[in-house]
Amino acid sequence: MTSDDTILLDHGAGGKASHAMFSEIILPLFHNDQLARQDDGAVCEVPAGRLAFSTDSYVVDPIFFKGGNIGDLAVNGTVNDIAMCGAHPLYISVGLIIEEGLPVKDLQKILETMARAAEKAGVKIVTGDTKVVPRGKADKIFINTSGIGIIPEGVDVSGSRAVPKDKIIISGTIADHGMAILSAREGLEFESDLKTDSAPLNHMVKSLLDAGCDIHVLRDPTRGGLGTTLNEIAAGSGVGITLFESALPVKGQVKGMCELLGFDPLYIANEGKLIAIVPEHHASRALEIIQADQFGTDAAIIGEVTDHLPGKVFLETAIGGRRLVDMLTGEQLPRIC
Amino acid sequence: MGLKYIEEFRDADLAKTLITSIRQESKIPLRLMEVCGTHTMAIFRHGIRSVLPDSITLLSGPGCPVCVTAQKDIDAFVAFSRLENVIVTTFGDLMKVPGSGTTLARQKAAGADVRIVYSVFDAVTIAKQNPEKQVVFCAVGFETTIPTIAAGILMAKAQHLDNFCIHSANKLTPPALTALMETDGVDIDGFILPGHVSVITGTDAYRPVFEAHHIPSVIAGFEPVDILQAIRMLVLQNETDRPALENAYTRAVSDQGNLKAKAVMHQVFTLCDAVWRGIGTIADSGMKLNSAYSRFDADARFNLDLPEVSEPKGCACGDILMGLKTPDTCALYKRTCTPMTPVGPCMVSSEGACAAYYKYA
Repeated sequence: MTSDDTILLDHGAGGKASHAMFSEIILPLFHNDQLARQDDGAVCEVPAGRLAFSTDSYVVDPIFFKGGNIGDLAVNGTVNDIAMCGAHPLYISVGLIIEEGLPVKDLQKILETMARAAEKAGVKIVTGDTKVVPRGKADKIFINTSGIGIIPEGVDVSGSRAVPKDKIIISGTIADHGMAILSAREGLEFESDLKTDSAPLNHMVKSLLDAGCDIHVLRDPTRGGLGTTLNEIAAGSGVGITLFESALPVKGQVKGMCELLGFDPLYIANEGKLIAIVPEHHASRALEIIQADQFGTDAAIIGEVTDHLPGKVFLETAIGGRRLVDMLTGEQLPRIC
Repeated sequence: MGLKYIEEFRDADLAKTLITSIRQESKIPLRLMEVCGTHTMAIFRHGIRSVLPDSITLLSGPGCPVCVTAQKDIDAFVAFSRLENVIVTTFGDLMKVPGSGTTLARQKAAGADVRIVYSVFDAVTIAKQNPEKQVVFCAVGFETTIPTIAAGILMAKAQHLDNFCIHSANKLTPPALTALMETDGVDIDGFILPGHVSVITGTDAYRPVFEAHHIPSVIAGFEPVDILQAIRMLVLQNETDRPALENAYTRAVSDQGNLKAKAVMHQVFTLCDAVWRGIGTIADSGMKLNSAYSRFDADARFNLDLPEVSEPKGCACGDILMGLKTPDTCALYKRTCTPMTPVGPCMVSSEGACAAYYKYA
């Protein structure tokens, strides 16, 4: 199999072509002992403790965009979901659903990125599956990743643990990923150098936990953005939330694009940001730790938990006004004028 | 992308100074209408209502193009999507607007070729790339959008694209203001006039309605400082009983407007009566293709025979658009009509008054 080939239905049929793809393309990139055994499943050593388990599927269009591709998105996404349980992610699985006709070099590029992302996050890709479907039955490539991690003793992080007076920290600028994807889409000719923020956040979480920060809530605001995730937390914890507009970190380019298209950055996806909700007396320490991480330099305290109107999120606007931040309903669609 | 014109006009100190002035100067209770949907959203987004004194009530007007699109026009868009070998191209806002039966979004899910475009030029490009298909563009917009649609028609003509056409539901702002002022029961003390629309029309376009009714009128931009400045000017006009037509958006709006854009608009379109959802027919408030460009008219090309439809029972969109009711007083609001299951277009459009109330109030 060479980079000039394209993926055919044969590569998913389980025969020689499938084996060639696994041994010539996949294994060299994801190389590790468990995978090399080619058993039906992976057998892994796990330390004692509680297990965090998560799964996610990636269908992003386009599959390549500034700052990354569907591959690192799929690895980082699951790594982060596990990290948001307060766990150290250890192992992940990769399921590939490939549309026939995908150039092998595209697949290689995606897998290389996945291997690098796994290395950066410190997780092993230990099991997987590949299917090839006829043209038109999928859009180039869909990826599912599942993963497991171990939650250290004494850690209790949950969307139901926010209490009044807690401070809300965001680990950096919001809405970068969603706007980077949108500007890469066909039909929208935006000249921008905006990159996805896709990044593994498990090291940041580990630093917070190692420092003994009593983290009440950890969430990564992916689809639906910060606004939607905070609504979920407000509902889950039965508390009110107040955000401060002037404290929200948003890149200039993102603001500009959102203005043009009529989008609200509060509802745009992030792939490398976390929300940490911590008691007031731990807030400045937690902020310092997050800012010290390579993916947290723009972190800021953006709001606080209240006992006012449980389940609702409010924004104090820059001009001193106040308004509701509702959950996103449906997809944000570009406005007419 | 420079942000110079965003940050300056979001200056918190300047905004707070204006708020203090408004609070001190406003004594007479006022009902001010922001005509434009983009203003409605900006007012909610920046929490402007929450900083105004109780003496000022803001009403949302008929200036959201999706909200005033007649149900029959939506039915036409849906009908085009049901035709063989037809690609329907539309702005995103229209996807979820219910016609009398279904929506373009549901049609798309059922297999129709419906594509969201960001400009009419994308639709023309799609026509060029798909010579074997007919491409219908759902033309819904005010003066801001109509010149670009006209330019799209000129582009299609220059490229000899016989497979491109539009269904025009375009509308003009000044005739709607006149109709509003002539409606019984309408109680408005001042207009916050649209910013984008006025860039094209110019201040002069509002002179006839102002001369006829002497209603305080101020053109405003869309940032908090712009809007607060316009509100303050309307307060002062009312307090001193000196109604005027003023422009608080001079960095973008001139007296005559964009002459080139207006010329292109009138080259391709001609005035016609138009049905405004909830309001009814307003004479000379629409724009249809003129005879030189009628071959781009989708209605003539496909000869659809659509039945007359009545608007959904209980929907107060019409009264809301005229400032006679607020969304929260509509019997359907938050009950059967939500952004997930909109009954009227004021709930589905991101700039509709009902959606703004639901999202922010």
